Amino acid sequence: MKGVNGKILIADLTTKTTYTRMLSEQEYKLYLGGRGLGMKLLSEYLTDQGTDPLGPANPLMFMPGLLCGYPFPSSSRTCMVTKSPITKASKPTKQFASTVSYSNMGGFIGPEIKFAGYDGIVVIGRSDTPVYLFIENERVEIRDAQKFKGMTSNMFDEAIIKEVGDRRFESAYIGPGAERGVSYGSVMNTGARSAGRGGTGCVMGAKQLKAIVVRGSNNMETADPLLFKELLKTARLSFGADSESKTNWRYGGTANALQYSSDRGSQAVKNFSEGTFSGIDKINAHAARSRVWKRDMACFTCQLACKKSGFAKGAYGGVVNEGIEYETGTMLGANLLIDDLDGLHKMIEIADDYGIDIITLGNVLGFLMECYDKKLINTEFLDGIELNWGLVEPCISMIHKIGKMEGIGAEAAKGVRHLSEIIGNNSHEFAIHVKGHELAAWNVQGYAKSLGISYTTANRGACHMTGGDINGQNLSTLRDSLGICSFAASWYRNDLHFRHLIKAITGFDLTEEEFMETGERIFNLERWLNCREGFDRDDDALPERFFKDAYTSGPHKGVVLDRTEFNSVMDEYYKNRGWNLITGIPEHGTLKRLHII
Amino acid sequence: MPLSRKDFIINSFWASSGFIILNRTETVAGTLTGNGPIKVIVADYDRCTGCRTCETICSAFNTDTSGDKSPHGPGNCEQSNIRVWRFMPPVDIPVTCYLCHDTPCVASCPVSVSAETGRKALYRDESKGTIVCDLNRCIGCQSCAETCKTERSGVIYPDPEGSPTGMCNLCDGQPQCVAWCPYEALSFVEIWPEQTKYSTPQIIFEQLKHKLYTIQSH
Repeated sequence: MKGVNGKILIADLTTKTTYTRMLSEQEYKLYLGGRGLGMKLLSEYLTDQGTDPLGPANPLMFMPGLLCGYPFPSSSRTCMVTKSPITKASKPTKQFASTVSYSNMGGFIGPEIKFAGYDGIVVIGRSDTPVYLFIENERVEIRDAQKFKGMTSNMFDEAIIKEVGDRRFESAYIGPGAERGVSYGSVMNTGARSAGRGGTGCVMGAKQLKAIVVRGSNNMETADPLLFKELLKTARLSFGADSESKTNWRYGGTANALQYSSDRGSQAVKNFSEGTFSGIDKINAHAARSRVWKRDMACFTCQLACKKSGFAKGAYGGVVNEGIEYETGTMLGANLLIDDLDGLHKMIEIADDYGIDIITLGNVLGFLMECYDKKLINTEFLDGIELNWGLVEPCISMIHKIGKMEGIGAEAAKGVRHLSEIIGNNSHEFAIHVKGHELAAWNVQGYAKSLGISYTTANRGACHMTGGDINGQNLSTLRDSLGICSFAASWYRNDLHFRHLIKAITGFDLTEEEFMETGERIFNLERWLNCREGFDRDDDALPERFFKDAYTSGPHKGVVLDRTEFNSVMDEYYKNRGWNLITGIPEHGTLKRLHII
Repeated sequence: MPLSRKDFIINSFWASSGFIILNRTETVAGTLTGNGPIKVIVADYDRCTGCRTCETICSAFNTDTSGDKSPHGPGNCEQSNIRVWRFMPPVDIPVTCYLCHDTPCVASCPVSVSAETGRKALYRDESKGTIVCDLNRCIGCQSCAETCKTERSGVIYPDPEGSPTGMCNLCDGQPQCVAWCPYEALSFVEIWPEQTKYSTPQIIFEQLKHKLYTIQSH
C-alpha cells in the first residue's frame, strides 16, 4: 500500500542482530502509526504480565506518526513507546506491575526514520556495554558507544555528527542522567527537544543504548497525489495567513501561557499549593524575549517556531539552548517560587544536559522544599543542601545530585512517590502524582472536571495532554498516532480534517465514526494493558492536597475540590467509556466492539 | 528591533555574503554576470528557523513530472537544491547555489572547452545565470562538488555513480523556496556581484555563533 513504508526495524541488543518486520494493511488501518501502532506492537511484546520495564524483554520503540516525513505543517512528531519504569499499581499483583508509557518529541528524527524506509524502530534486549544504533537506509549497525558514555546532551549532539561525518544525520539520545538510571530520564534530540515524560530515556539507559542516528533518502509516496497537493497547498496558505495565534506562537511559544495561567489561577505554584505566582512578570515570555532569547526555531516544516535559544547574562550567564517554556518555566520557576530568569534558564540548561524530565524534576524539588519547609526533613537528609523556596543555587546543587545519582540524588531520582514513602509523616498528601507519575504544570483547583479527568485517567500516569473528556482523549490519541503537534491541531479542521490527510496519503477513506473509533481503540488498548497489570479505578486518584488545601490568593482563592462531586464526575466518565463503574476495567463488550480482543 | 521587510530588501541591495549589516547576516545566490546588479536569492539567518520547508518545496517542484508542476508534493529533501544546515549552539544556515561570479566549480571542471559551444561539461547558462551540468560530457570526477564544498555553499552534491547534482535553476525565474518560505527568510533581490564575498556554511556559522552566543557581543 502507498503512504507507509510497510515495515519496522527491529534491533536486538542482546544478540546484536537487526532485522525488519512487515506490517499488514489492517494494522495500519486499525492503529495508524506513532503512539497507536507502538501500543499495538507493545501489546504483542508484553506477553507476560509484570515484565521488568528495565529488563531485556521490555521493547523500546521510536514511532514516527503516520504523517511524519510529509511536509504538512506541524506534523513531524515521534512517539516513544515502552512499558513504564515509573508507575506502580496501588495493589500490585506482580513485582514489576506498571503502566504503558509513551512520550512525544518534535524535531527531525521522525521524518528521517521514515526517509530511511521504516515506520518505527523497536529496540529489544540489552547490551552489556554502551552502544548506538546506526541507520542509513538499509544499512543498519549496532556500534560501540563506550567513548560517549557520560556525555551531556549538547556535547553529544555535536560529537555524534563528528563520529558519522555527515551533518545530515539526525539523532536521538540519552544524557548521563538516564544512563545512570534516573527513572525520569528523557530521550533527547537536537540538544533540547525531548520526549521528557514517562521515563522512556531510563528504559533506553537500561538497554545501554546511548543513541540512534539515522539518515534516509527514500521518496515519500502518496495514494492520491492530486488530493495531497491540494490539501498541502491549502494548509500552507491558511497556516501562512497572518493570524494572531500564529504570531503569538512565534513570539513566545508555550511561555506565553506563563502569564495567562498565573492570571487565571491555573499554574502549579509552591508545590501545587497555589495557582498564582506573584513573580510571574519576571519570568514570562516578555521578560525572556527582551532579555534572553535571540532565535526562534521550528521542527520539520512547522510554521510556529515555538522553540527559542539565546544568551543569558550575569552569574548564570551563557548559551541558552532551550529557552524557557510553559512547563519548564512553571515547574522550575513558579512551582519553586523562583523568579530569577537567568538562573531559571541555567537550571533548564543543566537538567537538559543531564537529559532528565523537567516536569518531574520540578515536582521532586518542590516536594523536597515543602518537606524541608515543614521540617519533615533536615539538611542532613539533603546532604547539606539548604533547599529553601525561591533560591536557584540549592536547586542547581540538587539537580547535579540527581543527575549523578549521588546521595540524596539517588533517592530523588526515583520521583516524589518514592520520596514520600521514605519521608513518611503524611507527606504523601502533598506528593503530587497519579500512579507514581508526577503532574504537569497545570494546577487542578477550579479546573478539576477537565484536568482532573486528564490527570487521573491518562494511561502513562498523570498527564496534562491526555484530554479532559472522552472525545478530547480519543482525539489527542489520534494526534499522537498521526504525529500532529497539539499546538497547531486546531487548524486541521473542515477541508483539512485529519481524515482527508489520511486518505490522501494512505487511501484509507475513514468515516468520522471510524476515525474517532480508532482513537478510542488505542486509548482502550492502553487501558486494557494497564488493567492486566493490576491497575484499577483506585489508581485513578488525585493527590490528597486537592481535596484539602485551598489557595490563599488568585481567582480560585479558598476553593477546595469536593470528593463526592469529583467522584460523580468520574462515575459519568467510566460509564460513558464503557468501563466497569467499580473497577474501572474496560467491559468485555467494549473491547470486543473495538477489535481489541 | 528587527528590520522591516522593506528595509531588509533595501539593505540587501548593498549586501554581500557573510557580511553583517545592521545586525543581520545574509548570503546570496544570483543570476547573470556582468557589471550591473544581478538578481539573487538572499537568505536572512535571523529569520530562518531551520524548518526545512524550502527543501521539500524545492524537491517537490523540481521533481514533479506531472503537467501541472507543483511545489506541494511530498518532496524528498535529499533531492533539494537548497539545504538547511543545523549547527550547535542553535544556528540554521540555509544555502543554495550562490551562482558565484567567479565560478570556481566551472574552473575546476577538467573537461575541455568544446569548440562548438565554448563550454566545459559544467558551465554557466548565460541567459539564466545558472550553473548547468552537461550530462553527455560530464566524466563524473566530482571535482566541482569538492570545490564547491571547500570554498562555497557546498550545494553541488557528489554522485559517485553519476554526475553531481544540486545546482539551483531558479525555478524559471520564480524561485519556489522564496515564494513559500513560511518565515520570509528568503528573498529574490538584486545585488552587486563585485561586492559579494562568499563563505562556506561553517564560516557563516562561526560568525553567527560569535554574534549570538558570546559574551563579547552582549
